[in-house]
Amino acid sequence: MEAKYDFEKKYRDQVLRCSNCGFCRAVCPVFGTTLRPAYNARGKMLILKEVMDGTIELNDELIETLFQCTTCASCAENCPSGVNVPDIIKQVRKDMVNIGSCHPAFKGMNEVLKSHTNIYAEDEPEDFERERNKKAEYVYFIGCVGSYREDEATLETLDLLDRLNVDYTLIDEVCCSGVLEDVGYEINGDLVKKNMDRILATGAKTVITGCPYCSRTFNNKPQYAGLAENGIKVLHITQFLKDFDFGVTTDKLVTYHDPCDLGRHCGIYEEPREIIKKIAPNFVELRHNRVDALCCGAGGGVRGAYAKNSIAMARRRLEEVEEVGAEVVLTECNSCVHNLANAKLRKQKFKIYNISQFVNELMEEAE
Amino acid sequence: MEDKVKKALIDIVGEDNFTDNLIDLISYSKDASEHKHRPDAAVWPGTAEEISAILKLANMYRFPVTPRGAGTSLAGLAVPEKGGVILDLIRMNKIISVSVTDRLAVVQPGVVYADLERALEPHGFFFPPDPASGTVATLGGNVATNAGGIKGAKYGTTKDYVLSLQIVLPDGRIMRTGSKCMKSSSGYDLTKLFVGSEGTLGVVTEITLKINPKPSLSATAMATFEDVEDAGRAVSEIMHSGIIPSALEVVDQETLIAINQNTDLNLPEVEAILIAETDGHTREETQFQLNKVIDIFKKNNAVTVKQATTQEEAEALWTARKSAYAVMSRINYSLAVEDLSVPMSKVPHMLKVISNLAKKYDLKIPTVGHAGDGNLHPTISYDSTNSDEVKRVEQASVELFEKVIELGGTVTGEHGIGLAKARFMPLEHDPVAMDVMRSIKKSFDPNNILNPGKMALDA
Repeated sequence: MEAKYDFEKKYRDQVLRCSNCGFCRAVCPVFGTTLRPAYNARGKMLILKEVMDGTIELNDELIETLFQCTTCASCAENCPSGVNVPDIIKQVRKDMVNIGSCHPAFKGMNEVLKSHTNIYAEDEPEDFERERNKKAEYVYFIGCVGSYREDEATLETLDLLDRLNVDYTLIDEVCCSGVLEDVGYEINGDLVKKNMDRILATGAKTVITGCPYCSRTFNNKPQYAGLAENGIKVLHITQFLKDFDFGVTTDKLVTYHDPCDLGRHCGIYEEPREIIKKIAPNFVELRHNRVDALCCGAGGGVRGAYAKNSIAMARRRLEEVEEVGAEVVLTECNSCVHNLANAKLRKQKFKIYNISQFVNELMEEAE
Repeated sequence: MEDKVKKALIDIVGEDNFTDNLIDLISYSKDASEHKHRPDAAVWPGTAEEISAILKLANMYRFPVTPRGAGTSLAGLAVPEKGGVILDLIRMNKIISVSVTDRLAVVQPGVVYADLERALEPHGFFFPPDPASGTVATLGGNVATNAGGIKGAKYGTTKDYVLSLQIVLPDGRIMRTGSKCMKSSSGYDLTKLFVGSEGTLGVVTEITLKINPKPSLSATAMATFEDVEDAGRAVSEIMHSGIIPSALEVVDQETLIAINQNTDLNLPEVEAILIAETDGHTREETQFQLNKVIDIFKKNNAVTVKQATTQEEAEALWTARKSAYAVMSRINYSLAVEDLSVPMSKVPHMLKVISNLAKKYDLKIPTVGHAGDGNLHPTISYDSTNSDEVKRVEQASVELFEKVIELGGTVTGEHGIGLAKARFMPLEHDPVAMDVMRSIKKSFDPNNILNPGKMALDA
């Protein structure tokens, strides 16, 4: 029987290999908060197997689960059978969009990016009191969340770069649009071209970004291959900052939340910790850390499409912070900061920062 | 499902705890076995009273009810074979109390094994039956199957630890069995009847478990054997040598080949390896026991023997055994995980029988197991889309179990009968025993609404 959908053409073997052992239940953040088996990887694979068998069709009834996945990849990491569920889900979403079946939030996002520079459809970029599009050694790429939702944190990161005398420039950046590939659509060629042109125009040889999702997009998506072709490196800010000395410390009990996009997806676990250890000798790991880190619940579009569950996932992560008694939670991803901060209960007294933001504050206090 | 039944269920559990959405029906149609059947609806009850009301409703309208934990059953225990309503107990997941002085823990059925383990750790206690699915399996499921695990050889299985249960009977009445005492001889031992009854006699809503102080030290050794029967003989001898290792596991050649194909552990592809662990409170004690084990390994022609000198080395030795399921599931699309047990003296012969069957039926049957209690897991890896192969798997399974029964064994050491082994029940149990089991079922559940179609109880 000829495969009807692309997901089957590409991933039939993997879907068949799912042995339905259920071990993914232990690590799926969506399942962990809802306790609804339809949401976790096994449930999704059972559904896709029925699609492959022809007993059901891809249709709107499946949106609730096939579009509700943060793509954190904890399931893939722990699957005894080696099934890469997030990859399969991303392809299924494209198949669903092809047949006109898609979550309205993502359809909306795709439309927004056709006529706006960012996922929030904001028209005025935040003024970070710095010139854009200069010639410089580095481009600092902020990303949509950092530009329009966590602008305070971004300002502090830029202040830190200034303190460290980094020769950088902002650009008239637009959404990297990598997220569209994950939610059933395609990267936006116009936006890619704008980013590429503007980065190249600065003459910079390195792009630094605070958004691990943007850094993944720039590094991995073929549409951005022009960067490497022009000898331009892309670094996440923790990779850049780890070699600096800051000359400040705090004795607060500090912990670190590994963002999925930085940790599990890129294998960057130690650089953030190296920075933290320099400034916070009193450090404690969360129960689930590094490759086992719990997703904050924002990724894969879930924050926009399933806000209630997204916040519930963040709350669950913050319970682990309470467990270790940390006073400060550090991370380096604006999406994580945004979701965790939104989810924090008033009675939870710890503070949530990006590392770069926190270092800047310490340096400011020391002055 | 009739509208009035749906409405009645929603009245009992609340709208948020009822579903008849397609995505849920599909998700509940399977467990970790090869069996599949959709329910008509699923509910997430929160109390024994809600379950009682649901079962009364089920008797009134004659719809089947299938209790379910994490759905990790390897035998189809949690598959709603006759449709009806799934009772997903995952929301009843409180650890109600832990009492070190009384040496017990009281839990709801939806508590995940790993969460109980974590709660007991700070007290220096543990709950010994440790199923491989412990990161997700629930205590309710452990009770339903009388789950075992790697520590079974020394510490026994779930039934040795259940002191008391709260049960909702199929007719909706709620009762308690047993007591919080370490021992009791009062009345029929109803607790033991329910443990291992696979959700066919009642729904467990609260479990009182005996917990053990956890030995602080352990010693681990691995031995390789060129002849699988030598390994089997070593197992037998160890288990009657006077000491009891806390674990004694076997990994066969097919498994070793699969491990090497999927990892860089680079294990020798010998006919069998044995991994043994001894535990205790002093180095001398654990070493004394392990020395006996090592002597027996050598006496039985072990080619190499290696003792772990550090915690990391011990974990590395165990990786071979613990990665078995993962690597087996990558050989082909499907796994038929068998779970036979034979008397200890028959272990060597049984290992040979399995490898002969693999040759006869041209199948890959990697085997690992709890050799220390005679419980082996030959795991047939096959292409479920190839009908000829599927037929050979069935033939091999039948011949395997005929052999097991011939040797005085049982078709399931710990996974349960469910659907997967129902056809072998008459092979293992004589007609009178089958009749008595069916009478018990009928006495508890005259309308056959609770997990029907399992264990060959439907005559």
